[in-house]
Amino acid sequence: MNPTRRQALTTLTAGAALSACSRPQPQHFPITNVSIVKSPAYNMDVYDTILRLVSQHQPNIRGKRIVLKPNLVEFDAHTAINTHPLVVHATYEAFRKLGAASVRIAEGPGHRRGTLDLADAAGYFSTVPKFEDNFTDLNTDSVAKRVIQRPESKLESLYLPHTVLGCDLLVTLPKMKTHHWAGATLAMKNLFGLVPGAVYGWPKNVLHWAGIPESIVDLHHLFPNQFAIVDGIVGMEGNGPIQGTPKSVGVLVAGNDVAAVDATCCRIMDIDPKKIDYLRIARREDNLGESAFRQIGEPIAAVRTSFDLMDVWRSARGV
Amino acid sequence: MDWKSQQNTDGGWAYSRGCSWTEPTALVLLAQTATGIDRTAFAPGAQFLRSLQGADGGWKPQANVAESTWVTALVALLPAETIGLTQRRRALDWLKGQTGRESGWRYRLTQRLNGNKEEFPEGWPWFPGAAAWVIPTSFSILAFAGEPDLSSRVAEGRRFLLGHMCADGGWNHGSNRALGRDGDSYPETTGIALLALREAQLDRSLDRAKKHLDTCRTAEGIAWLRMGLAAHGIKTEAPIAPPCRTTMDQALWALSNAPRNPLVTPAILSPVSY
Repeated sequence: MNPTRRQALTTLTAGAALSACSRPQPQHFPITNVSIVKSPAYNMDVYDTILRLVSQHQPNIRGKRIVLKPNLVEFDAHTAINTHPLVVHATYEAFRKLGAASVRIAEGPGHRRGTLDLADAAGYFSTVPKFEDNFTDLNTDSVAKRVIQRPESKLESLYLPHTVLGCDLLVTLPKMKTHHWAGATLAMKNLFGLVPGAVYGWPKNVLHWAGIPESIVDLHHLFPNQFAIVDGIVGMEGNGPIQGTPKSVGVLVAGNDVAAVDATCCRIMDIDPKKIDYLRIARREDNLGESAFRQIGEPIAAVRTSFDLMDVWRSARGV
Repeated sequence: MDWKSQQNTDGGWAYSRGCSWTEPTALVLLAQTATGIDRTAFAPGAQFLRSLQGADGGWKPQANVAESTWVTALVALLPAETIGLTQRRRALDWLKGQTGRESGWRYRLTQRLNGNKEEFPEGWPWFPGAAAWVIPTSFSILAFAGEPDLSSRVAEGRRFLLGHMCADGGWNHGSNRALGRDGDSYPETTGIALLALREAQLDRSLDRAKKHLDTCRTAEGIAWLRMGLAAHGIKTEAPIAPPCRTTMDQALWALSNAPRNPLVTPAILSPVSY
């Protein structure tokens, strides 16, 4: 039966009213702390610096199960692709010292299948004692399905590894890098490594089809308890995340609000965070200004180092 | 190799430790067909695999995953009686219905309307609905070997692989060029692609594989390179004895050293009794 004009109009009016009600209201995020600490080299000082950062932002971790998620992608001795093993070990030691019940290092690289070989080549075995005993390959861990509530991407659900689903705090430890598809890869993009390759493959291409920035935000929402320490001692500029060139910045950036950490890193890299899609989706444009976060430690201007950007990302330049 | 000691109680094998998955279980069984079958381990392994066939005919990668994925190709590489003739036929039918999303009419049409005249030969995805990549395409080609009615898909798959060769002559996961920049090849994917392209004349790729073999330090990479080169009649020795850190490494290492390797010469996949 065809609807009458009146019925159609009534439906349209009701629809419009409903749509107005469900339209996203301006969202206000609490002002959170982001630490910027100078750390000029990968040396023993990193241990003290990271212990201080963890104590400052995570005062109550006694008895908690912690998962550290570094960024392991590929190994090339001539560049700086992966989170430096010293940063990972220093974080591991800090959480142990502060009374965590367990600390596991876990990663699921997106291109190479031999995760342990990659970790070995990247110096993890030689830097982290008993690395293999304390590490979980997230690509091949057992999995459970999680429904994504109000997805931003085309994903409705994802299989995720038990190791990260069962932790109390997920610590994302990315490298400060440019990214040819996302603009920048920092604490939030690092979560792509949680998605199991043994289910979705190498690369985790379902995320690309579902929308890269939107998938980053969906993954972020699946893990409400996060803490980030970004390895910006030496980052990567240009054609990141793999083929770029090393960039010395000499900083560690940390905070519990990982979107705020990423926006701060963008500013340090001389990238406008409002031009990075995943940040715009996660925080809405009006919550990405410099006053939206409280900077602790060094001011951004003191450490800002302009990262070389690929042509497609030149318009993201400028803070 | 003592496969039994690493076997889980459900009959399957883990990638390294933990729960059983289809891929390492299929590779361990394949390695046993090449190096000698341990009946006490093989039969429960085959039983575990049979339990993971989905209603659609494809294979789930793990018991907690509902969808069938690329591992179907790996299971179909086993001697038919391991999983059953009918089950294998259904697996091949499922594989036949899979293609990379980029070769679907909707994507092709969008690309044409945007002026992209690139061709999109039909490869195979890791997960249904995603794009085709080098490893699942290579294994699907191997699974279809000896199936004359599937030869057109094999030809398409080979075109996909040739189209995704890196500038250096080898293969990576399948992104040979992005935003105008060439990607570097990997040892393991170069070896796997060479297995699937055994009849092709690929001098540059074989040279690349030999160079990778000279510098590769992983069991996975060395094993696949040696198998890929062997498929082109080039016998090699392992340059080093790298650590075999996972069940996958051990199975691949055993396969690469086997004098009769079913991945290198699919015709030798004769019936097994266990």
